[in-house]
Amino acid sequence: MDNDVLTPTGAFPEGESYQKFVDGRKSRGNIWLGLFMFATLIGIVALLALLLTVANDAFGYIAIQNNIDPDVLVLNYHKDRMLAMPSTRASEDDAELVAGIAPRDQAIGFFGYGWYQQAAGDLNLLSVEGTLPTAETVASREYPLARPLFVYSSDVIMREKPQVTAFLKSYLDSAGTEVQAVGYFPIDAETTTANLEEWTRASRLTETTAGGLTPPPGDVIVTGSSTVAPITQHMADLAIADGFPGAITIESVGTDAGFKRFCLEGTADIVDASRAMHPLDISACQARSRNPIEFHIGNDGLSVVTSAKNGFVTDLTREQLQQVFTEATTWNEINPVWPEKKIFRFIPGKDSGTLDFFVEGVFGSDLASQSPETLMNILAANLSAGRIRALDAESPLAGRSPEALRQLVTDNVVQPKIAKSWTLLDSILHRGEIVAEVAQMPNAELKFHSWVNYNFLVSSQSSQPEKAGIRVAILGSIWITILAMLIAVPLGIGAAIYLEEFSSHSRFDQIIETNINNLAGVPSIIYGMLGLVVFVRVLSALTSGGLFGFGDPATSNGRTIFSGALTLALLVLPLLIINAREAIRAVPRSLRDAGLALGATQLQTTWYHVLPSAMPGILTGTILSLGRVLGEVAPLIVVGVSTYIVVNPKSPFDKFTTLPAQIYQWTSRPQPEFQHLAAAAILVLLILLLALNASAIILRNRYSKRV
Amino acid sequence: MIANSPSAQASARNDLHALEAENLNVFYGAFHAVRDVDLDIRRQQITALIGPSGCGKSTVLRCFNRMNDLVPTARVEGMVLFRGQNLYAPEIDAVAVRRNIGMVFQKPNPFPKSIYENVAWGAKINGFKGDMDALVEQSLRDAALWNEVKDKLDQSGYSLSGGQQQRLCIARAIAIKPDVILMDEPCSSLDPIATLRIEDLMRELIEKSYTIVIVTHNMQQAARVADYTAFFNMREDRAGYLVEYGPTKELFTNPKNALTEDYITGRFG
Repeated sequence: MDNDVLTPTGAFPEGESYQKFVDGRKSRGNIWLGLFMFATLIGIVALLALLLTVANDAFGYIAIQNNIDPDVLVLNYHKDRMLAMPSTRASEDDAELVAGIAPRDQAIGFFGYGWYQQAAGDLNLLSVEGTLPTAETVASREYPLARPLFVYSSDVIMREKPQVTAFLKSYLDSAGTEVQAVGYFPIDAETTTANLEEWTRASRLTETTAGGLTPPPGDVIVTGSSTVAPITQHMADLAIADGFPGAITIESVGTDAGFKRFCLEGTADIVDASRAMHPLDISACQARSRNPIEFHIGNDGLSVVTSAKNGFVTDLTREQLQQVFTEATTWNEINPVWPEKKIFRFIPGKDSGTLDFFVEGVFGSDLASQSPETLMNILAANLSAGRIRALDAESPLAGRSPEALRQLVTDNVVQPKIAKSWTLLDSILHRGEIVAEVAQMPNAELKFHSWVNYNFLVSSQSSQPEKAGIRVAILGSIWITILAMLIAVPLGIGAAIYLEEFSSHSRFDQIIETNINNLAGVPSIIYGMLGLVVFVRVLSALTSGGLFGFGDPATSNGRTIFSGALTLALLVLPLLIINAREAIRAVPRSLRDAGLALGATQLQTTWYHVLPSAMPGILTGTILSLGRVLGEVAPLIVVGVSTYIVVNPKSPFDKFTTLPAQIYQWTSRPQPEFQHLAAAAILVLLILLLALNASAIILRNRYSKRV
Repeated sequence: MIANSPSAQASARNDLHALEAENLNVFYGAFHAVRDVDLDIRRQQITALIGPSGCGKSTVLRCFNRMNDLVPTARVEGMVLFRGQNLYAPEIDAVAVRRNIGMVFQKPNPFPKSIYENVAWGAKINGFKGDMDALVEQSLRDAALWNEVKDKLDQSGYSLSGGQQQRLCIARAIAIKPDVILMDEPCSSLDPIATLRIEDLMRELIEKSYTIVIVTHNMQQAARVADYTAFFNMREDRAGYLVEYGPTKELFTNPKNALTEDYITGRFG
């Protein structure tokens, strides 16, 4: 064959050796493919790591420590007013109150329901908001001055200490009926059943084994609320009378202290509680691997009473109760049809939990529910007269909204401070330890906090991390970016059009081209030096706005938005030019020919045909430049970005700061809270960038579609 | 400037000739691309320029409306007379030349805009004040495209087929009412049916008093469509020159030059 001369045997691999040859090529290709995939993977990992780092600092637990608990503040305010009212008798001894009210027809007072029952014949029980305290209205919380009572234990204790389990069993069995004996309202049968089921679940004892449970020897330690203590005492008496072999110690330390002893110190087996555990209490307990078990054992209803001789009052609303105990002197002030008789008030003493509970039920204890007058009075009571006058001079206090007044109270009296902060990772991994740590801090509250929040966006800079925000920085960034792009984009596109379409490629033009290409690689700080010398110093009159009669050249010194924008515009100009040239160059020659052959001038052809076709490419470059301008900080620091500024920039001739400058400034602070703020600002910057990019891409796509 | 009314300054001589090239030489840098071409283009006739690749026929065509100006290194010597004026005289504006001498290119190159805008744009930038809709319709009718596009005038020019795109380019060129239309191998990227349509269209345009100069590689096309044919060849130094020029029938049936005969009988090229 002729072909054999041209291709001697063995010149091309054949058969088995061809297969080997192909396999070799494939495996070499796979190695390269692996490398490429590895490179991509590195990129993705880097991006994820970036997001994780930022998110790690931008979210997490914070411990807020108040100068004073706002609830306590409100509670004390109302308690003080009640105690300061004339013809008011305060006593810790409820018997004294009963004795004071019974003989006087114009007297009024309140105490636990038990005390009313003991002297029911001499007293007249009032309904509140139209509801009388009965077992049903109290259990359903329809009666406003009612609260549930609890005891808590934990499954671990119940399994390790059979005496506790046995005591609880007898407690829960008889609680439904026996709490009445000490003056409280009983729970219904369903709650009793639910309690016993919970007990069964926690103790892991079945009905049969529980039935045969003989009380083993051993002591039981109970702590907590003084309100619940009488019930527990009564139950303990019953149990011991029934043959409970151990000793039952009952302390009255208050609910909060009780939780602390039970959860943190682990010195109690059962806690009496006049409120349910907050999630925070529960997690503090769980941190010590005590899973709290809740038993609702009774209900408390305060009884508001008058003497049986009082023939006119049967019902009072919350507002009327407020008036009776803090404002009115005679009964007809409350209701004109009532006699004009002096009101005698008999109330529990300052240290009594009953008074606290009454105030909470009638006045509310949170700041949000307080009237503007109350808020103003709280301010007046807690701030110096001079400070009040200063605030009043800013804007009259009486004219401010309740929200503004509440904010004033929070800022000036409650003064919440971030005592400690944790990263997201710590918050997730070491939750228990954090909860335990915060539980030890006085007056501290643990909150999961997003450092990016509404207040952060709208507040100006502050030396207190909880108040600091980025409003001024965002506005500065927007000003700078828009202004710089307005300057740079037309210049860049114009230069690109000249160089691509009109330049004669003379020696001069070539020098310009080379220079532009080199300028794109000049470090940004050098542009900062240029900006400092030219825009800030030499052209100060222009950049401070003095030339236009604007601004105050003495203070801004040329360190204005305008200077910054000009500097950044110069910085991105080469980038824009190079990119726009590439885009224009990519427009096919035939399009220009088509335009020119119709008798169009070169400018018309460029404007109507070349530029629209190049626009998507030009926009891509604009997006890149936009990101550069938004993120650049080094030249701005040289030009003179303000380090601390709380006034919004209003014109290009104002001093400014930008988001990246703010981030830089915060990261250089030693307090960890500012690192969180910096991370939050980074997140905002990223979102802003993504939003700008997305809108530019949408714009570009619309352009491409039209073509 | 060039007077817009062809008849106003028409002399007896250029009544017959739309364009006259006299002693035309074109250089690209140091390269001598076209040498000493004398060529008179007959008014309201189709003149075909044929010849082997690189013989300079496209270059000569592009001299007629000064498209060679756009090549930075190109230099033209000699004269091209249009309405008695030298197009290469210093006072002549190339933009005005192209307004009167239109061009259709080898590859269809509609603007990336709607069909309507493609046709209307040239008139708009040349200061057309009349009824634009009527002009667009008339131009599209003259280009035998109206029936195919009248319902989708707002669609992109790129949505058309290749042959339709080329007729759109012709409609675009005739919308500004040029005297002469130059066509640089207008059918080389089209299928045979589209080619025939364009050729029919060229004949129709001649009836509407246009003058057409066409460069073609396809000798059958020249024989089919052209009234006059010019045969170009190149020398050893690759400079193009005019070999023979005459009525098409004569040139194809009875060529005076042996080279022409060799070329049209397919012996080289």
